[in-house]
Parts: sequence; structure tokens; C-alpha cells
Amino acid sequence: MADALTQLGFASWLSVLIASIIKVTLILVGGSVGMMFLTWYERRSISYMQDRRGPNRVGPQGLLQPISEAIKTMTKEDATPRDADKIVHFLAPVVMLGATVLSFAVIPWGRMFPVDLNAAVLFVIATGGLHSIGMMMAGWGSNNKFALLGGMRGVAQLISYEIPQVMAIIPVVLMTGSMSLQKIVEAQNDFAGLGWYVFSPVGLLGFALFFTASLAEGERTPFDIPEADSEIIAGYMTEYSGMKFAVFYLSNYMSNLAVCFITATLYLGGGNGPGVDALGGIAGGLLSLIYFLLKSFALFFVMVLIRATVPRLRVDQLMSFAWKFLLPLVLVNILSASFWVALLRWDQQWPKLTEWFGAPSTADATNWGRLAIAIVLTLLINAGAVALIMRLTNRNVQKHLYTTDEELALGLS
Amino acid sequence: MNPIAIGVFIVIALLTLGSGIMVVTVRNIIHSALWLIASFIGVAALYLLMEAEFLAVVQILVYAGAVSILVLFAIMLTRQVTGEGVRVVFERWWVALLIALGLFGVIVPTLWKHGATWEEAAKLAQVGPAPVEGAANSLQVATATEIGRSFMGEYLLPFEVVSVLLLMALIGAVVIAYEERTRRRRVLTLAEELALKKRGIVEPRDAEGAVVPREAEAAVILLDSEQA
Repeated sequence: MADALTQLGFASWLSVLIASIIKVTLILVGGSVGMMFLTWYERRSISYMQDRRGPNRVGPQGLLQPISEAIKTMTKEDATPRDADKIVHFLAPVVMLGATVLSFAVIPWGRMFPVDLNAAVLFVIATGGLHSIGMMMAGWGSNNKFALLGGMRGVAQLISYEIPQVMAIIPVVLMTGSMSLQKIVEAQNDFAGLGWYVFSPVGLLGFALFFTASLAEGERTPFDIPEADSEIIAGYMTEYSGMKFAVFYLSNYMSNLAVCFITATLYLGGGNGPGVDALGGIAGGLLSLIYFLLKSFALFFVMVLIRATVPRLRVDQLMSFAWKFLLPLVLVNILSASFWVALLRWDQQWPKLTEWFGAPSTADATNWGRLAIAIVLTLLINAGAVALIMRLTNRNVQKHLYTTDEELALGLS
Repeated sequence: MNPIAIGVFIVIALLTLGSGIMVVTVRNIIHSALWLIASFIGVAALYLLMEAEFLAVVQILVYAGAVSILVLFAIMLTRQVTGEGVRVVFERWWVALLIALGLFGVIVPTLWKHGATWEEAAKLAQVGPAPVEGAANSLQVATATEIGRSFMGEYLLPFEVVSVLLLMALIGAVVIAYEERTRRRRVLTLAEELALKKRGIVEPRDAEGAVVPREAEAAVILLDSEQA
């Protein structure tokens, strides 16, 4: 964008400045409008799942409901507890929203990339990790036991689910050979725009694991333990009202939106789809944006569906799910991803091997053959691992649900 | 180096140093931990200014996102020190001073030694986009690829030593946590307590009404692990 402005006759520093301001404005507006749409979308769809109608009075189909709610929260009293740590209490929502907005800096909108960072994938995870600071500040600064409990729970949850989340991305990085989101999107453009990672066994498992871990990172049900309203009121948000509460709410939904965007980019091919390359230019860009938004909102619909069906986990179930279920599967997935890469492109990764064995033929037949071998092998590894761990977990769950008489007798007699 | 970059550098460096000073002078220990996070993020911004994107992101991920949270947890779980009015200067302040001076003495010669290389690299960067290989060599760009290659090549031994150290820490943590668990008594659910009462087994209590811990607990855990 900056180049185009320089050609129009602006000085180079001015054009960079203008381009940056335009980008930042677009990101901020896009993020918050997306969040407003998301609240309406979630409430309407969950209403239909629960056999009611949801907000449908303000504007057509209730589309203006988020605006009326924004006005309502802005006019509410913004109360701060007397013994609270005023500055920390005030800064907590700011930190949360800042971290969320930062992650939007690298998210590609279809084929449009605001910033193409080399370590973009890690950047998104890192900004997600900053949420824990805001949570801790809110919990501690409120000077309220429920808030502190909620903050502690939330932080424990965030830092344990960060590990499977980061490691679920490693297969994608291995298969692409880069951490830049632009390269990852380009790598999924084979087969007329349908070469998405989710269609390979490695990508499918990675997608499921990453999406689950991201649900926990975004505090969605069934992982909404930090703000479990029936247990600890509203967790770290207990002492927040008015605009500060609205900022928490905004950052929550924006980070959920970011999770959907990132999952769509990493595993569902971002803005790739049939017809994007054929159209090309601005029309192709618009089509890619439409594809991208469709994929993201479909993912968010899955989130809403999960919220309407699955009950909240207990804290111990949450932790054992992360460490005993997600983490082993993620490790196995990294193993099968390295098999995948080794079979499909060892000529690119290890030039030494090419020296010894000669370059793998680029003829179609061998490529298809190698692809078939890679799919079968990784499918076997992943399916075996999932079956094994499911079996073990089921046994564990049954053991914890029912305590036998012998166990009771041994423990207490 | 262009003047805007220098200006940005000075602002970030002052913010980082300022929050670093606040860490050691603020009396409220939670505030001090929060200032520490601010200085971590400042360091990450400095890395970003040096175009070491990977290092910057890892700095935020590991230090600002994880280590600082660990510090906060440690503070909150040791209740005595959360109150205000903690003393800032202790009797053995000179030990801290010695360590700080020693560290400074290590860092400054390193900077001195590599300063020439960096200036050369800056000149190269001003000339124009150098071929990628040459730029990587002279600039010592800290990209993920470069770091990975030097870990697996030049610095393999230190890397492995650190890995073994971390593994030991991990195993040690597991061992400690496991021992803790075997000593703890399992808390019964209401349904289990009711079932026991029905069968006429009453939990033994001492004079103050607290439940007496038992040694049979270890047997239960043994049984658990056998079933699994």
C-alpha cells in the first residue's frame, strides 16, 4: 500500500505513515465490528438451539442489538471497590484488550496481509499468553476473593493449554517450512485452491487439537472455568461494571474471533478456494475474503454448538484433559508430521540425502505414490494413537466416576 | 542508523530502564512484579527494533507470558510478603551489587568485541539489500533458522547440557509433586460419605473435631495405580 502512495507523489515516510494509519484503522474497525456481529450471531444461533428466538426487536432481525447494548454499558455506573488497587484494577482490561488487538496485526484477511511477520504464528500465541497477565491483574486488583480465585483458575488454565496449542502448530510449520502466515496460506493453494492441511491426516488431528486448545485459551464453554458463574460469580470480572466490563467483553469476543481466523488460516487454507486464482486481481481478493470469512464464521458456529451441548468441566478434569489427552496426541502428531515431510519433500529439507540418493523424481506418478504412502502411514500412526489414548482415558474416567466399596473400605476402615 | 530509529530506541530504552528501576524500588511486591513484566516487554521491543522478530516473540512468549506469571503465582502463594511496606534494602545488599557489577563486566566486553561487526553490518544495510547469504553472515540475524542451525551445529554441546539440566528439573518437579500427593488424604464426596455412614463406618475425629489422617491412604493409591 505504501508503494502505491509513493507513486501518487507522497514523500516516502509520509506514505508509510499514512498506510500504517489506514491499516491500523481497518484492523480496529474490522475487529470491533466483527465482535459486534459475533455477539448477535452467537445469541441468535444459541437461541434457536435452545428453542427460543433470541434478540429480534432492535433493527432488522435484531441486528442493531449490539449497538443498543454498547450504549447501555457506556451509560452504566463504573464502580471501583473501595479497597481495590485502583491503578491495577483500571489497567487490567486495558492489558487484555491491548493483547487481543495486537494479535490482529498479523491475521490475514483473505489474501490481504496487514503485517507479514516471519514469526507470525508464534506472535499470535505470544499475544494470547499476555491475556494471563491481564487476568491476574484483574483478579488481584479487585481485592475480592472470587475475583482472585477466578484469576488464578484462569491463569492456570491459560498456561497449561498454551503448551498443546503451541505444539499443535509445529506440524503446520514443519509441513510449510516457515512460520510466516503468508507462506502457510500459499502452501495450501495446491489442487485448485483445495490443498488445505485439514484434508491430510496430520492436519486433521492438528486441527482438532489446536481448536480444542484454543477453546480453552478463549475461555469458551466447556472450558469457561475462570468465569464459572454458578461457582465463583463471574471470576476475575466480578468487580467490573460499566465500560470496563464492556472492554473485557470486547476483548473476549475479539480473541474468539482471532482464534477462528487463525484456525481458518492454519488448517482451512485461509482465503484459498476454487476460483480465487482464476479470477485474480481485486475480484479474486474479494472472493478470498468471502471464503475466509465464511470459514471463520463456520468455525465460530461450531464453538456455539459446543457451548449449547457440552457441560462445563471440573478443574481437575480440565487439567488432566490437557496433560493426559491433548499433550500425548500432539507429540504423536509431530512425529507423523515429520514422516509426512520426510516422505514428500526430503529433497528440500535435506540436500545431503539428495546427494546420496539422487533427487526424487518430480514425475507425477512417483509424487502420487509418495503422497499415498505418506497418507496411509500418518493415518495409521494418528488413528492408532487416538484410539489408544481414548481407551486409556475412558478407563480413567470410569474409575473416577464410580468409587468401589473396596476402595472406600480400604481408605477408611 | 536513521534518526527516527535512534529516537525510538532511546524512548524504548528509557522505558525499559525506568521500569527496571521501579522493580527494585517499589515497595508493593505485586507492583514490582508488574513492573518487571513491563521491562520484559520493553526488551522485546528492543529486539524487534533490531529486526530479530523471532527473539522478540519468544521473549514475550516465555518471559512476559510465562516466567512473570510464575513469579506472580509464587508471590501470591506465599502470603506473608503480599502486604505493603516490604523493606527494599537488606543487610547483604553488597552481594547483589557485586553480582550486578560482575554481570555488567561480562556484558560490556562482549558488546565491545561485537561492536565493530555490527557497525559493518549497519553500513552494509545502508548500501542496499545485500544478497541473503552475505547479509545473514555479517548481520548475524537472529532468525529461527539461524538459531536452529547454530544450536544443532556450532553450539551443540551447550545446547545438550542445557537440555539435560531442564530435563532434570522436570523430573525433580514430578518426584516432589508425586511425594506430596501420596501423603495427602483423599477428600470424599458427599455421596461417598453418605454411603460410609449407611454402612456404619464413621470417620475418626480428634478432640477438636478434625478428621484424623490415616496411613491406609498409601494403600489406596497403590490400588489405584495397579488398576490403571
